[in-house]
Order: sequence, then C-alpha cells, then structure tokens
Amino acid sequence: ASPGPGVFPKSSYGYRLKENGFRLNGDTKIQSINVSGTVTGVDGEPLPGVSVQVSGSSQATSTDGSGRYQLKDVAEGATLTFKMIGYISQQVVVNRSQINVSLKVDVKTLNEVVITDGYRTTTLAANTSAISSIKGDVMENKPYSTFAQTLQGQIAGLVAPTTSGQPGANVDIRIRGLGSLSLSSSPLIVIDGMIVNSGKLGYNSTTANALAGLNQNDIESVDVLKDAAATALYGSRGSSGVILITTKRGKSGKTQIRVDAEYGSSKAMDNPDAGKVLNAADYAVLFREALTNAGNTPAQVETAAESYGLNSGKSNNWYDLVTRTGRQQQYNVSMNGGTEKTKLFASAGYFQQEATTIASDLKRISGLFNFDHEISKRFQLTAGINFSNVGQNTPYGTQFSGSPTWASRVLRPFQRAYNDDGSINTSIVGNTNFPGIYNPLWIAGNDKKYLSQTRILGNTKLKWNIWDKLNYTSYFSIDYNTLEETLFLNAVMGDGAGLKGRSKNYYTRYFNWLARNQVDYRYDINGDQDFYVTAALGYEAQRSKEYLLAADGFGFPSAQSELTALTNAATPNGAFGQYSNYAFTSLYALADVNFKNKYALSASVRRDGSSRFPTKNQGAYFYSVGGTWNVHQEDFFKKQHIMSSLKLRSSYGTTGNASMTNYSWVPQAGYSSAYSYAGYTGQQYSTSGNVDLRWETSKKFDAGLDVGFVDDRFMLTVDYYYNNIDGLIRNVPTSLTTGFAAVGKNIGAMVNKGWEFTLKGDLLRVNDFKWYTNLNAAFNKNEITHLPENTPVQNGSFYLKEGYGFNTYYMKEFVGVDPQNGDALFYKDEARTETTNKIADAKLILQDKQAIPKVTGGFNNTFSYKGVSLSVDVNYNLGYWVTSAADIYFTNASQYLFNKYQYVFDNRWTTVGQITNVPKFATNPANDPSTSTYRLYRGDHIRLRNVSLGYDLKNVSLFKQLGLSKVFVYGRATNLATITFDKRLPIDPEVGYSGFDDQDMLQYRTFTFGINVGL
Amino acid sequence: RKDFLKEDPSTAVSVDKAILTDGDMMEALAGTYRILQSYFLFGRNSVVMGDILADNVYLSSSNSGRLLTLNNYSFAEGATESRFIWTQSYYAILQANRIIGSDLKESVNSSQLRGEAYAIRALLYLNLVNWYGKPYTVNPSADGVPLVTISSDKAGVLIMPARNTVAEVYAQIISDLDKAYSMMPETPPAIHVTNTNFISKPAVKAIQARAYLYKGDYEKARDAALVVKGAGYALTTGGPAFTAYWASTLPRTDKVETIFEISNTAVANNGVEGMDWLYAKGGIGDYLVTDDTYAIYSATDIRRGLILNSTRGTGASAFQAYYVNKYQNVGVADRDEVKLFRYAEVLLTLAESYARLDDGTNARLYLNMVAQNRDPLLVAYTYTGQALIDAIILERRKELAFEGLRFFDLMRTNVSFTRQNMGAKAYSFYTNVATTDFRRLQPIPEVERIANPTIVKNPGY
Repeated sequence: ASPGPGVFPKSSYGYRLKENGFRLNGDTKIQSINVSGTVTGVDGEPLPGVSVQVSGSSQATSTDGSGRYQLKDVAEGATLTFKMIGYISQQVVVNRSQINVSLKVDVKTLNEVVITDGYRTTTLAANTSAISSIKGDVMENKPYSTFAQTLQGQIAGLVAPTTSGQPGANVDIRIRGLGSLSLSSSPLIVIDGMIVNSGKLGYNSTTANALAGLNQNDIESVDVLKDAAATALYGSRGSSGVILITTKRGKSGKTQIRVDAEYGSSKAMDNPDAGKVLNAADYAVLFREALTNAGNTPAQVETAAESYGLNSGKSNNWYDLVTRTGRQQQYNVSMNGGTEKTKLFASAGYFQQEATTIASDLKRISGLFNFDHEISKRFQLTAGINFSNVGQNTPYGTQFSGSPTWASRVLRPFQRAYNDDGSINTSIVGNTNFPGIYNPLWIAGNDKKYLSQTRILGNTKLKWNIWDKLNYTSYFSIDYNTLEETLFLNAVMGDGAGLKGRSKNYYTRYFNWLARNQVDYRYDINGDQDFYVTAALGYEAQRSKEYLLAADGFGFPSAQSELTALTNAATPNGAFGQYSNYAFTSLYALADVNFKNKYALSASVRRDGSSRFPTKNQGAYFYSVGGTWNVHQEDFFKKQHIMSSLKLRSSYGTTGNASMTNYSWVPQAGYSSAYSYAGYTGQQYSTSGNVDLRWETSKKFDAGLDVGFVDDRFMLTVDYYYNNIDGLIRNVPTSLTTGFAAVGKNIGAMVNKGWEFTLKGDLLRVNDFKWYTNLNAAFNKNEITHLPENTPVQNGSFYLKEGYGFNTYYMKEFVGVDPQNGDALFYKDEARTETTNKIADAKLILQDKQAIPKVTGGFNNTFSYKGVSLSVDVNYNLGYWVTSAADIYFTNASQYLFNKYQYVFDNRWTTVGQITNVPKFATNPANDPSTSTYRLYRGDHIRLRNVSLGYDLKNVSLFKQLGLSKVFVYGRATNLATITFDKRLPIDPEVGYSGFDDQDMLQYRTFTFGINVGL
Repeated sequence: RKDFLKEDPSTAVSVDKAILTDGDMMEALAGTYRILQSYFLFGRNSVVMGDILADNVYLSSSNSGRLLTLNNYSFAEGATESRFIWTQSYYAILQANRIIGSDLKESVNSSQLRGEAYAIRALLYLNLVNWYGKPYTVNPSADGVPLVTISSDKAGVLIMPARNTVAEVYAQIISDLDKAYSMMPETPPAIHVTNTNFISKPAVKAIQARAYLYKGDYEKARDAALVVKGAGYALTTGGPAFTAYWASTLPRTDKVETIFEISNTAVANNGVEGMDWLYAKGGIGDYLVTDDTYAIYSATDIRRGLILNSTRGTGASAFQAYYVNKYQNVGVADRDEVKLFRYAEVLLTLAESYARLDDGTNARLYLNMVAQNRDPLLVAYTYTGQALIDAIILERRKELAFEGLRFFDLMRTNVSFTRQNMGAKAYSFYTNVATTDFRRLQPIPEVERIANPTIVKNPGY
C-alpha cells in the first residue's frame, strides 16, 4: 500500500507544519482552551513557584502556594514548559484542559543553584569560593530578637555567642577566628547589597544591636563569605568575613498572603548548681565561719551577726526577686505576588519580648516592601524599603550597682527588699539595708534606661541590558538610622540620689549611603555557550555620617516622679554636639572563565580608598584568584558509585581591615569643655595619631571540596584555610615624656588556620519519613607570629608571645587544698615541683588552656513524616576555659559580706584530713586564690538550642474547605538543656571571646506556640 | 576623587594647623593651664604631697582611702600618684612645647602667651625635678628628669630620652624663665584678663626666685625676689582682711598676697577630687593637721585661724581634730583657687637669701615683715646666724603650711624629720624619715621604664 494523506503520525505535527507552512496562518483556525493543573514533586508535595510558559509566546504564569496554575486561551497543540531551579524542566503539549505535572529533582543541581557574593552571581558549579548559606526557613519564627542568634551552630566556622539575655543585645560574630588584635573582628554585614553600620551604635545602652530591627521572617537567605575568592571583593573591609542578607522578594503568580502568629513565655535559665546563690541559712553559716576563722571571739561574731540581721528571721531570695516569667509574642503578615513583569513582596511584623530579668524588654515593629519591575525587555527596576523601630529597656549590666543580675548574686539574703509595710526598702543606712549596692527592685522601677532605634534601609537598582552580552547595573542605597537614648536616674536611691534626680539624653543619627555602578560582560569563546568568560567592572562610593547631640541635667521635681524628661531639670550639666564620618571609594574588576562547568577560574581585583587612613596610605589593592574542578563531569568519575558528585576548589587572595575609629590616624589638637580654663576656650594636643598607619591585611588561602552522595541528596563540604594577617595594628607604648602613653602602629602578625566540615541534606528518606540534617564542625587555631619588640608576655590573664594563641591563659596555678590546714596551694615554679600557700610566691605559669573554643559547630535536624515535622537543633563549643569577672566576690572569704556560690559552701575545707578543692573559708589575703587558675572553669558545652514540633493541618478536611495553602501549627522550646563538663562551673559557659563572663543579664529559655497560615 | 575621602574630625584640628593665630595660641595656652588644674597635678596631688610626705598633716583613722600609700610611705614603682605627676606634667610640657615652637609670628600677644608657656614649662620641670631627682643642694649631678623641649608632632613619639642631670634641668628652668621674662611685654596685652589665674611677668620672677632658692643660688634668688617686690605686691593688713583674703574664691587683680594661682570655677573644678574636698571638714576631710603643727602657731597668730579645731566622726567614735581650713568653699559652686605663688613666700625667700648671704639686717627685715604681719603682737625677731635661718624656715612652715612646699624645704636643707604619731586618730604611722630614706624620691613610673628602657630607676624601687 502506498502512503496516502493522513498516514502521517499525529506526533509528527512538526513535519506537517513544515509541509503546510504557508497555509497555517491563513486557513487553519487554532482552538484555544483554558489550561489548569497542579505541579508536584515526585513525592506528591505541591511545588509552588514553578514557572509555566507557553513556548514561543510571552504567555506565562507560575504555580501558587499549592502548586496550582492556570492559563487562559492557550492554543491547542502548543507546548507548555514547566521550569524550576533544582528540577528537570518538562515540556507538555496542550491537548486537554487539566494538565498535572510531576517534576523530577535535577541530580546535577550543582549547575543550577545560584551563588552570589554581592557583586556577581554564579552557579554552584562555577563557584570557586567558600560560601555557606542558610535559607529563610531556618530564620523564620525563631523566638530570638536578632538574626545573629539564629546563626549560632548553623554554619561551620561562624560563631555568634549570646552573652547577654537583654533582648536586642549585640551579638559579636566571628568567622574563622579572631581577625584582629586591636580593631574589630566582626564581619561586614551587607543587606540587599548595602554595606550597613552594624554592631553596637549609640552611647548609653548597656547593649544594643544596630540590626535588631531586622525581622527574621523577612529574610530569604543568609550567605556567609569566608575565603578570599568571596571576600576580596569587599576589599578593605572583608578580612573578618562578610555576611550577606537577602530579603524576600515577590514571585509572579497568584498573590499569596501569609500570616504568622506566635505567643509564648520565657523562663530564667538558672546558673549551674555550682553557681547558685546561697539561701539565708547557708549564708548565715558561712558568715559566722568567715569571722570565726579570722580570729573573732564568739561574742564578736554574734554582735556582727545581729547587726547584719542574721537573727532577724527576715530574709529574701534575691534571685527570685529579680527574675520573672517573661512574655513574648510575634505577629507577621506578608504578601507576595505579581505578574511576570511586576512583582512585589510586602510585610509587616511585630515582635515583643520580655527578658526574665526585671526591667528588660524589647518591642519591634518592622515593615518591608520589595518591588521588581520589568520596564521593558531591556530595563529592569528593583527597589526595596525596610523600616523598623526597636524600643528597648536596658538596665545596667556587669558589676554596676544598678544591675539586677549583679545585685541578685552579691546581695545578702538578709538585706531586706521590702519594708515591713510592704513598700520597697530604699534605706541606705544599716547593714540590713543598702549602704553599698542599691536595691535592684527600686532601681528597676524608678530608673529608666531606654533606647528607641528607628532604621530605614532603602535601595533601588536599575539594570540595563545594553545588548545580549552586556549589562549595566546602577545601585543606590541608604541606611538611615536614629537612636534616641534617654536615661533617668531617680532622686531617692541610686546614681541620681545626690543630684535630686538626673537625666541624660543622647540623639545619634547615622546617614549612610552607597552608590554602585557595574558593567557585566559575557563572551562565549568561539561562540561556544559552554566555554565562556564573564567580566565585570564597577565603581562604588560610600559615605556614612554620624551626628550626636547629647545633654545632661539634674535637679528634678521632688514629688512628680513621672516628669523624667530632661527639660524638667533645674541645672543643666553638659551639652555635646559632634559628628563622625567615614567615606570609601572603590574601583573593582572581576572575571570568570567557565569551561563546560568542568573547570572554572575566577579572579578579582579591587582598589579601595578610605577616609580612615592617612592621605598617603588611603588607597590599597586587594585581589583574589580561585579555581574549581567539577570532577563529576569527567568520564572516569562515572565509574564509581559511592559519590554522586565531587567538586574541588581553592582560592588565594588578600583582604583588609579598615575598622579603625574615624580620624584616629590624625594627630589632633582637640577642643572640649574639659580643656577650658578660667572661662577661656581650651585646646589640647590630645591624640598623637599616626600618619604612617596602613590597613591590616589578611592573606587568605582556602582549599575545599564538596562531595555529593545518593544523587546529591546530601553533601559533605570540607574546607581547610590558612589566614595570614599582617600589619596588625597594636598600641605600642611610648615614653610618657612625649605626652602620650601609646601609639597605634602596624606591627604584628598572626595566623588563623583550621578545618571546617559540613554534612548537609536529607540523610534518610524512607517512604514518607525524611531526616534532614546539618551537622557542622569547625576547628580553628590562632597563633601570633609577630609582635613589637619588648611586648610584655603578660597580657591580663593571657600569654602574649610569638608562637602562641592570643587567648592562652597565663596565670598562677592553683594546685589544691592542703588537707591539713585548708590552705590553698600554688606552684612556685613552672616545672610544678614546689608548692606554696602564699599567692605572692606563686609563679605565673603558661597554661595549656585557652579562652576560645577549639571546636565549634552544630547538629541541626528536621524529621518529617507526612504533615508532622520535628526539629532538634544542637550547638556545641568544646575545648576552652572560662572565667568570671566578679568571681572573687562569690568565692573569697574576705568578701564575706557578699553572697557566695553554692559550690563554695558545699565543698569548703572544714576538717583536718578533708580532701577538697575549695580552701578553708578564712579571710587571708596572702592565701587568696582568686587570681589563680582556681577561677578557671572548663567552658565546654553542648546546648539543645531549639526543639520544635509542628503539624501541617492543610489536608485536614476542615481547612481544605477553606482553601488554605498552609496551616502549620507548632510548639517550640529554646535553650532547653545544656550539657557541661565541669562540676565547678558556676556560670553559663556561653561567654565572649575573652573567656570572660561579665555577669551580664541572664539568658533564658523560651516556650512558644505558633501558627502559620497561607492564603 | 581625593576630596571625597577627605574627612576631618568635628572636635579637633590637625595639630600642624592648630596654632595659626593669636586666638589659637590663647586657646592652646588655656588648654595647658587646664592640665595644671588636674587633681593629679596642682589641682591636688602635687600640692598635698608636699604636706603629706612632710610633717604637717596625717591621715585620719576614718578615711576614703585617697592617697593612702603616700601617708604610709609604702608607694612603689606602679603607684598612681607618681605615675600621674609624671604623665600629666609631660602632657602639659607637650602643650607648652607646641606653643613655644609654633611658627606664629612675634606680636605683643604671642610674646605674652609664649612667655607664659615658657614659664609653665619651667614650673613643671621644677616640680618634676624636685619629686624625682635629688635636691640640687645635695647632688647637682644626680639624675634629674628627661628634658623634652620639642613638641611630639615634630620630634615624633618614638623618642626615648634618658634622664638629664639635676643641674641640666635647673639650667633649662632658669633659661626658660629668663626667656619668659624678657619676651613678656611690660604692659600685658588684652588677649586674656590680667589676674592671678595667669602667669604675669612678676610671677615669672617669683617662680625663678623659688628655683634659685632650691638651687642654693642665693644671690640670684635675692635678685629675682627683689624684682617681684619692686612690682608692687603687698600683704593684707589686719586680721579681717587676711580672713577675707582666704575666704575669697575669686582671682585677684590687686597685687595683694597672691602672685599666681590655679583657677577653679563653678564649671571647671575637681569636684570631690579637689584639694578642698580632701582637706575641708565640709568635704571628706581625710587629712588632718598634726598637734605639732598646730602648736607652732602662737595664740595671736592670725594664721591659726586657718586651722579649724573641731571633731571628726560621730557618736562614740568621734575625736577632736584639727582641719585644714585654707580651702573653705567646698559647699559652693565656685571653688577655691589653688595658690601656687604668694608674696609672703617671695619675702621669705628674700629673707633666707639675705641670711645665707650673711646680711642679717635685711634678712630680719623681711622675716619680720611677714611674721609681724601675721601676728600683730609678735616682738620682732633678733636672731642671727643659723638661728636666723632656722627661724626663717620655721616661718616658711607656718606661712606656707598646706600649700605643698614644706617637703621641699626639708629636702633642700637635707634634714631627717619626724612625722608625728597621732595614735588612734591616725590611720597608720611612718614616723621617721631619714635623709637616707629612698622614698624621699618618687619612683620613676614603671610604665615609663617599660616603654623607655634608657631611663634609670630611682634607687630602692
């Protein structure tokens, strides 16, 4: 039979088209139909955000939160393309109105996942640098007031200890160890391209984080740049690492509304048992013992006991009095939607948290509006504005007399909080009252220390696609931040008592802007799309202007306790107005070569200029080179079946540290009211400055590998790094005959080196059960490699010498207690052969103990089964020793008028022959162990940081009818448990990098319940 | 663009542009005087130490702990007081060096101001060499203090000067004062007020008279003192005027008693760290007058009124105590000036110089001029020889008690002395200070030694 018309198979439509090409338009009426459907993953879970495009036309949409899409008037026979990053694209011919698609995960996601360092966007395959990222879902609905707290334990090599329980407290982040000895080691923070002012701003708050206004629910991702290939583009400010925060942006498709609500409470996180304060009965025993052992007669001891109220039968538990159950709540509403051309994301949030310490709390309102618009095919505009107000009550921390935490530990149980009539005791005379430390209850109720911080962060970006391979991007951003700090000290008790009440007000304003212009070019070598070079050239300028206005006055209305505004003060006491600015300009270039995603090279160079350095040293070059080899692209790789992918990468480059105080290089003749004389304005040559000051430069080497297993379901990342920091600025003591005590010079060098391991991904998938894990560990070693001549080896409690880590303890060594007489014993020599009971005769001995953990990391897990998910996050710090600033008061018998640690009470030497490690409780300064290793405690700890259990009710029939895309309820607990390894440890071991506990406000546990609803 | 990166501080100027006009120099000079006002220097410590370390005052058994190691003669290399006399003095010398070395062209104003800077530098070196070096009269070739005469913005901050000899330091002091005197205009210009808060031309000579006296150059001491005398100063006349003089907080323009004193105003004073607070009963009154000291005054001596016979403490622990009452205005905003140079000292320098030059007549003339002014019933002294010198030294003690000069009289005359044991009233005792006691010299601060290894310790520390 010969072929006739109609025998062409239907699927050869293309052929027929070709045959009848001329007639198609004119004669054939194409049927249009409305198409809808659901896109899911292979596991049946709906996939939101999948782009659905009609091939050959501009008609497109994307799936909503439930994976649904809808397209009207699609030509029958047209092809739909379903596309999403991380999945294999699928094409389906339109032949019915209901098209459901299930997308398969792209095994080689490495090639697709987008990596950004702020200046360039590349794929994971072509990436040469060490960047760790966490996605927004890790940040969402966490009961922490600042994002930095959430980062702890999430990223290998990044540590962010919470050292104060003040909501909104500043958190000092370190990436790959201590970056500088004198300058800041905090990483640069970049929000949506803007280099913001971070850390603690302002002048009067005990602790405040400039970024406390950032709502964590608005964060899309956090990228941590660690090595030179990633940070060299930040030039003079990249040496301590960079944290990029990207906020959420709109996606096209059906508008999604999301409402999150959370409510809960916080409970005090008590000190370990060893550090609990004594109850009245135990304290009374110690009090009498101290006096008796000091040689007082029983009659004398009783006279003292009587005067200190030990026999009054009236006592209180100070810890209970200054702690409370705090409330906390947060509500977030967000809207996300748009068309292919215009997308927007908008959110509003409210967060409120009460600390478990009296008089401390935080309130935040925040909003975000992100807007993307395609003006034309060649022009794209994006804009964003993020505003927030944070109100914070911050009582004194550390050993200030007004600090409730300090008061709770030092006050005697027999100092009476309340008078017999129930009013708060404000008497400062008498041993059962407050002749020294103030009554914290009165201070909390009557002193005010408030910060209101308002921040507006706005940016616009215009992208112009000049032609196919050439793009121009213009970016402008402002970071406007005001801090209003008001302090009021009451007239009755406390620091304002002698002055009939005192108030100080500070207004600080930061206006920080940044402009960036960048040209991007791509060149395909030999026209081959798989072998190309990208290059970019950019210019950046930034200026931050700080303005401070402050005033001080005293003498407040005697009976109108509400009138705390400064204007009410009778006597003005001081006025201050000044500014402090810095500026940076940068010219940078970068280039990448990519050969078939198999080999990629990257290079960057940046020339920075900064006002913070002397005119002749204002500029410097920073560069990096990096390379990667995606081994899995090689044929030989496919012969093994253990790994699904393997990527090797390495980079080397330089970065700088410019976190100098503004103007500090300038030899300054200053003016101040403190320099005036006999009514004449006074000037003093007050700052020696150093016109030879240069940047601190960090030369960073990094080598890493990323290994994928089981179709890249989980990945192991290993990095080795070696950072050589040169030109460290250190204050060199000068002869005082010059009029100055020290001058900052570029002298000194140190090295940070270490390993980082991250295992991340779905470790297990059995039917509906999934175990996602993020297990990470970082080992860092710091070593000083050069110091100025004549640098004293003793640096506080530390040893400062070439060849040693910066925070290695150097202390007199406590041996133990003499069982015969209860004396503390110390080593007299470094060989540890001879002991003495006189601390003065003891020798400073280099300890094999350091204040910075040797290993840090986290073990974060999410188990999910159908709609139920359980998250368990653990973080750990191992191999370090801590001490407490004010330990001496809680351990030493000569300080018997302060309360003591439970451990001291329980273990003190009392009888001949007793083996213990707490000396006899006797006032004997010659034998006082408080400056020895007696006060060093092992800080190692493992903390159960977050446990949450949630259930998605979406598929429950009731909610199904409502058409909700998400109904997730959860309960969460933070800081539930901490494992420590030293039974003597009296404090929470999460302390700052100096190993020092400042007796700041206590951290707390939170218990919250929340619901997330998607409309 | 370079301009974009140019940021200048809002509370300071670059030091090389700091003194370009007369007004700038005036401000730099005011800043220098303000350092002298510091309680580590002439605002308190450097003055009270001259009495604490000597035999005029003792530390009360109840005290605030201030200056305790000085009272106990237990100060060491790390001691705060000696460290800050050193640092504050050299910080002030830095400011003076900057004024002296500035390129500002010569004018009536700049000559006045620069002259004052020379005089301040001399005063500071005189004070330094007396605390850290042996008296000139004992050993002029002993270690003094390093002489730094160029501002650190020009000499750099990395210099490590060794100690000059006592004689070299004195030579510098005298030369600075000569320069100051010769450059300062006869008629003070109006760049600042002319009163006792600023060093006047005669004040330069008063400083020089003290320097020559300490040096043991009595002819020159006499000559310098005569210049002051010729400038028209006078003592108060009568008890009420004397009392009113000490009660006043204001600087003077009448050439009565005060030649130079450190300003303390309502807005710029040392508060609870001031000398007045340390001494006055209305302050903390930690340092009390010994019974021995009280006893040197006759009942009719109007200076005895400057010691307050009162009680310290309350209830059972209260005890009789003599308070220093030269600085009385602790309860008011505008506090007492610290009197550094008074005419009476110049007259007694004149008396001592004449006595040591064997001119008994003139010596007695000036001794009696002071003594009889203060005690109207006193029969004129008729001492001769060593007894006359002793009487003059005793008169200096009476007249200048609690003004910080007693210790240096004991030093330059190189005598062992006794600090009275005040028993239960006192915090603790250190009674006998022999001429061999190494603590007669203050320790060179440890921090200076660490930063500047070329410097030599004072023996014993």
